[in-house]
Amino acid sequence: MQVTESIILLIYLIAMTLMGIYFYRRARRSENDYFTAGQSINTFIGAFAIFAAVASSSSLMGAVGSGVALGVPYFFTYAFGVIAILPFSMFLVSGQIRRAGVKTLPEFFNQRFGKPVQIVSAAVVVIGMTFYMVPQLTASGLIGSHVLGIDYKTAVVVLGLGFTLYAALGGMWAITYTDLIQGSSMLIGIVILALFIMVDHNGVVSLINDAMAVDPAFGDITQPWMSYFGLFIAFLWFGIISPSVVMRNFASRDARTARHSAMWACLLYLTLFIAGFFVTAAGASMGIVESLDNTDMIFVSVIEQYLPAILGGIMLAGLMAAIMSSADAMLLAISAGIAHDIYKEHINPKASERFVTGLGLIVMIAASIVGILIAIDPPGLIAVMVGWVGGFLLSAFGFPIVLGIWWKRANMLGALTGMLGGSIVFLILIIGRWLPTNAEPIIAAPISLLLMIVVSLMTEPPSQETQAKVDYYHTHLENR
Amino acid sequence: MTSRSKFRDPGFILTIVLIVYAAIVFIWWPTDIYMLEISLVAWLMFAGLFFWFLLAIIYSVWIEKIESRR
Repeated sequence: MQVTESIILLIYLIAMTLMGIYFYRRARRSENDYFTAGQSINTFIGAFAIFAAVASSSSLMGAVGSGVALGVPYFFTYAFGVIAILPFSMFLVSGQIRRAGVKTLPEFFNQRFGKPVQIVSAAVVVIGMTFYMVPQLTASGLIGSHVLGIDYKTAVVVLGLGFTLYAALGGMWAITYTDLIQGSSMLIGIVILALFIMVDHNGVVSLINDAMAVDPAFGDITQPWMSYFGLFIAFLWFGIISPSVVMRNFASRDARTARHSAMWACLLYLTLFIAGFFVTAAGASMGIVESLDNTDMIFVSVIEQYLPAILGGIMLAGLMAAIMSSADAMLLAISAGIAHDIYKEHINPKASERFVTGLGLIVMIAASIVGILIAIDPPGLIAVMVGWVGGFLLSAFGFPIVLGIWWKRANMLGALTGMLGGSIVFLILIIGRWLPTNAEPIIAAPISLLLMIVVSLMTEPPSQETQAKVDYYHTHLENR
Repeated sequence: MTSRSKFRDPGFILTIVLIVYAAIVFIWWPTDIYMLEISLVAWLMFAGLFFWFLLAIIYSVWIEKIESRR
């Protein structure tokens, strides 16, 4: 057990839990408060909230681990796709979907296409987000067991329930304000680590040379082209297809704030990945990747090699922050999918707001337990698991969302066929294992697009009222 | 709003710009050219990180101009 690091990690966990308790009353006031923080989040807080929701264990541990194992071009493919998330979603959906005035992604599908699409999309959200929690919990278990000196399973349970507690109690209010602390701690931590690495290696060129001396293939393309392209595509779409990220737009004060938050989050992410490059090169220069049981743990090895104990503890808390700030957003998406989109909309429309937020709290705890049970024996590497979920959500949601906003002629049957067709083809490709890792959405997403266009054109167009809504999503185009 | 005005939307135009840059990287895919012993592919992607942020700024400014005309 590492005493200093453990104390810092525990202080961090207690601080997050106290924030959950602080926001408990405010969050339980209404559904709007619990799921979207009263739609009152400003640009500064919103930028950190989006940044922290997108930056997960895969951004830090997964990207650095795969960069050390597979070469720096793989790391930059990660960065290339992940940073493009924010402008890509800004251009295509952020302002428009905020203008729809909904609380959840399935509610948007209901507004645009009707109830059947809402039910299917709520099911996709619950399944996708539950599985997306698994790599986050796996990462927290790896760090927790390493630092606290407890076994992996205990670490997964303790840390998993830790972030569930504040998220369930404080809803989007607690999640957004803990994001501010989590986003800044991971950013400050990794910048300090990068500075220590630079000083230790006497500059960038020397650092690259040190990495090359240990691993001559560090600068090479080591995987098939399709692996890089599939990774880029899966990440590029993530800001559009991940309910946990899209919900941050709903929490913004207005469409303008949502846009500005995404723009500044892009700068925060850019800083994170530039610092991440130094960590990757330092990891390669250590030459220990072959001796590690799990390459995702190379980040922790770099922290221990370059930072003194107190700074190391802060950086490890930053890593935990990256994990928790994404996992809590996923929990909220699952909670909203069941409590709001299925129970309130279809089972008991007369349910009181207090009952729905209470149900949301219970759903979060239940979803967390399911995620923990899967994460105790995880099915793969963090980066691969993230790629699976990203690919599944892209194949199911990508084109129904974009065409729903940009194409008036898209209708309910088209969206339903595209959503089901894309997700079924994706699952067949995963089970069949005919393609390189993470390349499945390259086939499944275009099939979803094709099905949606063909079926929409073969069936009745949406009502004039629905088409007028599509116009309203683009109201900034008026008076041109 | 007509379909034509949607094609003139800053979001639509900048999405095309983003896709064109990514397409250049993935279609050219210069695996045999190196700078500082690192494949040019990685450097093109590194430059792309700054280009994405630049596009985000351009979009924000462009939309502000349109909204200020309303």
